[in-house]
Amino acid sequence: MSIEQRPRRCGGWLERLIQHARVRSPWLLHFDCGSCNGCDIEVLACLTPLYDVERFGIVNVGNPLHADLLLVTGTVNRRNARVLANLYRQMAAPKKVVAIGACGLSGGIFREADNVIGGIDRIIPVDCYVPGCPPRPEAIIDGVMRVLERFGTGHPKEDVAKGKGIP
Amino acid sequence: MRRAVIPFGPQHPVLPEPLQLKLSLKDEVVVEALPALGYVHRGLESLATKRDFHQMVQVCERVCGICSVLHAICYCQGIEEIMGIAVPDRARYLRVIWGELLRLHSHLLWMGLFADSLGFESLFMQLWRIREQVLDIQEATTGNRVISGVIRIGGVCRDIDDAQRGWIQTTLAAVDRAVRQIAPVLREDFTICARTVGKGILSAEKARELGAVGPVLRASGIAQDIRQTGYAAYGELDFNPVIETAGDCHARCMVRLGEIHQSIDLIGQALARLPQGAIRNPVHGKPTGETVMRVEQPRGEVLYYLRADGGKTLARMHIRTPTFANVPVLIDLLPGLGLADVPVVVLSIDPCISCLER
Amino acid sequence: MSDLILRGVAGLLAGPLLGGLTSGLDRILTARLQARQGPPLQQPYYDVVKLLAKELVVVNAWQAFCVYSHLFATVLAVVLFALQADLLLILFTEAVGAVFLVMGAMASTSPYSQIGAHRELLQILVYEPLLFLVAIGIYLETGSFRLTAVFQWPVPLITQLPLLFGVLCLVLVIKLRKSPFDLSAATHAHQELVRGLFTDFSGPLLGLIEIAHWYETVLMLAFCGLFWAGGLLPMTTLALAAVMGVILMDNATARLNWRWLLGYGWLAGMTLSLINLIWHFRGAG
Ligand code: SF4
Repeated sequence: MSIEQRPRRCGGWLERLIQHARVRSPWLLHFDCGSCNGCDIEVLACLTPLYDVERFGIVNVGNPLHADLLLVTGTVNRRNARVLANLYRQMAAPKKVVAIGACGLSGGIFREADNVIGGIDRIIPVDCYVPGCPPRPEAIIDGVMRVLERFGTGHPKEDVAKGKGIP
Repeated sequence: MRRAVIPFGPQHPVLPEPLQLKLSLKDEVVVEALPALGYVHRGLESLATKRDFHQMVQVCERVCGICSVLHAICYCQGIEEIMGIAVPDRARYLRVIWGELLRLHSHLLWMGLFADSLGFESLFMQLWRIREQVLDIQEATTGNRVISGVIRIGGVCRDIDDAQRGWIQTTLAAVDRAVRQIAPVLREDFTICARTVGKGILSAEKARELGAVGPVLRASGIAQDIRQTGYAAYGELDFNPVIETAGDCHARCMVRLGEIHQSIDLIGQALARLPQGAIRNPVHGKPTGETVMRVEQPRGEVLYYLRADGGKTLARMHIRTPTFANVPVLIDLLPGLGLADVPVVVLSIDPCISCLER
Repeated sequence: MSDLILRGVAGLLAGPLLGGLTSGLDRILTARLQARQGPPLQQPYYDVVKLLAKELVVVNAWQAFCVYSHLFATVLAVVLFALQADLLLILFTEAVGAVFLVMGAMASTSPYSQIGAHRELLQILVYEPLLFLVAIGIYLETGSFRLTAVFQWPVPLITQLPLLFGVLCLVLVIKLRKSPFDLSAATHAHQELVRGLFTDFSGPLLGLIEIAHWYETVLMLAFCGLFWAGGLLPMTTLALAAVMGVILMDNATARLNWRWLLGYGWLAGMTLSLINLIWHFRGAG
């Protein structure tokens, strides 16, 4: 559903303002879900002077209660699946998830390893996949920006998606 | 007095990685710290029995994205020893260059995180900005910023040409200057000293007893560095292990600071003496036998045990990573510290959980 | 009468306007000092609007009540300042606001939030006496606690009470949650307590706390301005200078711990204030 089709209870401008604010102020939570660190340091590099994502209002808050975006790097294993699902549940709607790196997409190079369940979409719904091993910071920023575009559409309620459960 | 148990991690902004410490606190003073591991365990060693032994080089690089090249070097040296393959001289020097570039970026990264754990955000930003120059070199010479994938069994798969050599030297000189500019802040700044000097002291005896490795060990005054064994081309380059004697967080920081300059110097030496010739020898046949190989990573000594019985895959691979050796030290250091000092001391051993749990 | 209402409304508006802009400016300057570009100036407004529009997750009703009271008390303090009321009344109102925030944080069960709240209490313990010393200094100088009298005082107070201004800047560092004293909470999550005091407030409640923080900022800056109350221009100059100083300080120091704050920060503040008072009034008397 686009913004136009929705019932305008408090007038269109307020809704538009809110959408605009959402796109401009995504606070993110980064969770290392069993990654090899390659992706993590690239996520961190996004915060530093060369890439500086605070230009887009992105702040790393480190607290699921405050975050709008969940950046997950790495593969899911039997132990951190619960933590991941928990973090996702704690986040308040509207929320989006970005899976980073080959590992986050499918399990990547570790796919056949003993303790690996697979990509993070096995546990929680993912809105954007950033491929690469590790992806460059530019690619990560691009992925985040694409997810932000999706904040502009859709009713907040739709964003409260259900996780597929812990295996 | 109430006793609060704080789960430090697994998701925590100070640590980019999920190490979980259950801290029992009494008035913000730690009485007990219990590590809870397994959040990053992938069962990577089991892949050795599923993947071709050539492919395993790439897997080893991904034991830890920060020490990637050195894991690959260690693995390849092990296989080369089993199969009796000689590595061309040029390749040995190139391995040193990439290995030291890695140490350089890893130490800068660590220092940034360390500053961040002290709440010194601007220092974090500056250090990571310097680090980007090192990553530029990595990218120009290997094609990738972080995980380079240049090491092969029997040599390396990329070369550094003469034009690049000059450029690397000038860039590293710039890095050296920038680090020298920042060094006084790390060494003398009042607030940094207030937070690091005398925090988490590890005596030399204790360090030996608990089996500490790497900068943690050297900060306690023990001059031990696996590079002294002269693997790759280290035997032909001159360097001395950087040591400090205080054994506290500040000393560990200083050791790493010294090693940054040491790495720059080593890369300079290696570039200057880079011999001509091939970069890779062919590999024939399948490995049979077993070996143990050690390499000095930014975090300390890594140990690979490899056993092969003539198949396409290895029969067993085991890795003991530096963080694995340093966690007992950490558990020993934490009790008695204030909560505010916990992130500082945890970071001072430079934990790499992905290595630790593989 | 209409004059009073006008001033009250001005006070109400000052919070979101000046407070938000100061906070935006702060983020830009901080970023520049860290060799980054930083967010646009209006970023704090985006943040607050977004937070207010988020799903409301309340841990318990007490928490929400505390946040509303916190906001109310801080807004009231600013409005009272605009009405040029009694200095002590303003300070007490402000203190009530601060305590409500702590109570809200204590109402949750998260250990981070609990410890954050405890540290915040320690901070209040440090800065409130200092603030009162500043107020007493102003009283001794102008002979009245009423702001009307302070505004009519002919000479800039900063020339008489320079050390007290220093003490006020120390309080400003604590109040703006800046390094070295960002002990209980910080804007960026880079510390042992995740986001400390704020850990368990989410969405709209956090938005309200942010708005309250704007009012607090305005109040503190207005205090700084009092030291050169010769009109709007000198007041803003002084306040801006204080903010700059605090931001520089923030970027040049690591975080210290609360023992240090309690030990040295308090002692230094007290000594400075007393020296200033004694020195000034011995000279004058
Ligand atoms: S995608 Fe590659 S770099 Fe990222 S965590 Fe996985 S193995 Fe590491």
